[in-house]
Amino acid sequence: MELKICHLYGDVLNLYGDRGNIITMKKRLEWRGIDCAVEKINPGQTASLAGCDLIFIGGGMEFDTRLIADDLRAGRAAELKAAVEDGVSLLAICSGYQLLGRYCQDGKGVKTPMAGVLDMYTVCGKERMTGNYKFVLGEKSGGYEVVGFENHQGKSYLSEGVEPLGKVLCGHGNNGEDGGEGARYKNLFGTYSYGPILPKNAKLCDHILLTALERKYGLKELEALNDRAENEAFAAINARLG
Amino acid sequence: MKLKVVFAIIVCKALRLVSRLMHRGGTAMPGRYALKICPQLLSVLAKNVQTVVITGTNGKTTCSRMVEEAFEREGKKYFSNRSGANLIDGITTEFVINSSLSGKNRCDYAVIECDEAASVRVFAQMQPKVIVVTNLFRDQLDRFGDLAHTRDSIKKAIGSVPTATLCLNADCSLTSSLADDMPNRVLYFGMNRGAAPNKEKAEISDGDICIRCGHEYEFEYINFGHLGGFFCPNCGHRRPEADFAVVDIAHQSTEGSSIVMDMQGERRMVTVNLPAMYNIYNAAAACAAVCAMGMDKDAAVQALSGFKCGFGRMEQFDIGAGARMMLVKNPTGCNLVMEFLSNIKERFSLVISLNDRTGDGKDISWIWDTDFEQLTALSGRIKSLVVSGDRAEEMRLRLKYAGFDENAIVTERDCEKLVEWMKGEDCPVFIMPTYSAMLDIRQVIVKHCGGSEFWE
Ligand SMILES: [Zn+2]
Repeated sequence: MELKICHLYGDVLNLYGDRGNIITMKKRLEWRGIDCAVEKINPGQTASLAGCDLIFIGGGMEFDTRLIADDLRAGRAAELKAAVEDGVSLLAICSGYQLLGRYCQDGKGVKTPMAGVLDMYTVCGKERMTGNYKFVLGEKSGGYEVVGFENHQGKSYLSEGVEPLGKVLCGHGNNGEDGGEGARYKNLFGTYSYGPILPKNAKLCDHILLTALERKYGLKELEALNDRAENEAFAAINARLG
Repeated sequence: MKLKVVFAIIVCKALRLVSRLMHRGGTAMPGRYALKICPQLLSVLAKNVQTVVITGTNGKTTCSRMVEEAFEREGKKYFSNRSGANLIDGITTEFVINSSLSGKNRCDYAVIECDEAASVRVFAQMQPKVIVVTNLFRDQLDRFGDLAHTRDSIKKAIGSVPTATLCLNADCSLTSSLADDMPNRVLYFGMNRGAAPNKEKAEISDGDICIRCGHEYEFEYINFGHLGGFFCPNCGHRRPEADFAVVDIAHQSTEGSSIVMDMQGERRMVTVNLPAMYNIYNAAAACAAVCAMGMDKDAAVQALSGFKCGFGRMEQFDIGAGARMMLVKNPTGCNLVMEFLSNIKERFSLVISLNDRTGDGKDISWIWDTDFEQLTALSGRIKSLVVSGDRAEEMRLRLKYAGFDENAIVTERDCEKLVEWMKGEDCPVFIMPTYSAMLDIRQVIVKHCGGSEFWE
């Protein structure tokens, strides 16, 4: 078995330890004897998403997001949309999550159209939302508790038809108002938990990997791993959040 | 105004005295209150002092100590913010300590390390004679947003001091381009092609994209991270010629390096009394700063061979079979420390202590951008691998994913026990702590085997 992971816009959206997510997915597949190939696709590159089983989009700086908006318009948006509708797994974090929405509005009120994969929009808020935070995944995504670190000024609002990924237990999440965190649509997982969300949330990592393996190989279950270090790292920060 | 100044100085001095009597090392608090009373206090106190200010992501403290050594040797009357309080309140406290009640400074010179985020307020008030920017890399950025934001702050800060001489890292596109459209006199420092072995571009790099046009840079050579001979094939922006250029690294050991430096056309053999490549960069920066302050080249050269290790930066302790403390705070700095470890031939033990307090950055994502994978190549030489600090578990997790056996990693949070263990180790111990973890461990080591308290 092999999963092909595409790290979309990896050289541009690579701030704050996103690499930890790639390392974790790769290792957890390899430990189970499943091969994993990671390919980076950057803005301006014409490489197709066809044949890729899992797309990862990380967080990045504001000026880079504009560079990406151009690339989305040039055809990548339509391709992403088709992939998601087709059930391809996608994990998008922070600005990577924001760019899946319909548009982002900056501090001056200027709207930049985004991919439109998710019926969602993002508005620049007054205050930065920063810190360790915690949310509980919806039933569909396993129902586990997830701890992460959020650092965003954008406030995202989902339309009626889009489910949040989870419910905020402490911290801000999508907008600090409606208690929702991230988005879940088909096999798309969007979250504000920036940087390395997967290493210490091994169950979420496995859940996402399984969606891709199920689609490709009909796999219903993953072999259990010894997750002592993962669970202890989760417990340590979880205890602090109370 | 005058009265306000005197009152602010009195309050600051009094608070400082109280905090010292209570054995608190804190230097920030007195200055904070003084600035509340008189917001422009620093500009008054800095008026007749010729100041060199050092900022940038990595090497601020070491570079400051090197510059300071030159002042010391030349017999100049100077002071510095040695305590490491490098925001405006701590810096103000240092100026007050060295001033009379009327605000007249006892010293002619100051060597000030300044946090990037504080540069806008500090530079505008202090009006430094020389500004050194060591380099710009991704740091634990939750304190001030992202790298572009940090760079913008420094740029804005420099804009308020057109008379200052800038000493900038030629090899760092984010730093050297700070001189663009500025009237300031500039001295560049750097490492020329061929001085160090060429490196592959790091997987995570911060200076890939042309600061002027957004096109991807190409590199004639890379010294480390994004530092090297960058040029933009689109707009022609390229690394400027360095006025203080390392042209050859003749010898490197665990004690220090011998290098050849071209100093404004004069070639000198220079001994740097600190190991590791990144300290050669700090040495070049210090040379530029010392000369920009009007001292001669000999003063700079002698300072580099004579100065002692900075606080927690390659600092050695006589404990057990010997311990060395190597502060880590961001991916590039941490990668370079591990590169230094890879050159050690004997067996050693390693402690990595990760905290996430204010002084460290509350976000520890950076450990996933750091190549701990390179440590696995040394695992045959690492006797014990210990993780410590508030986020010890997260550090252990990172090492597991780097390829270490999680069961072979020891977790020890208690600094007393950690130091007890160091005493009994029969091989050298290297400690890689984040800032507040360094303070915690250092305090216990000093208690057991001597060393100076941190505000001295
Ligand atoms: Zn260019």
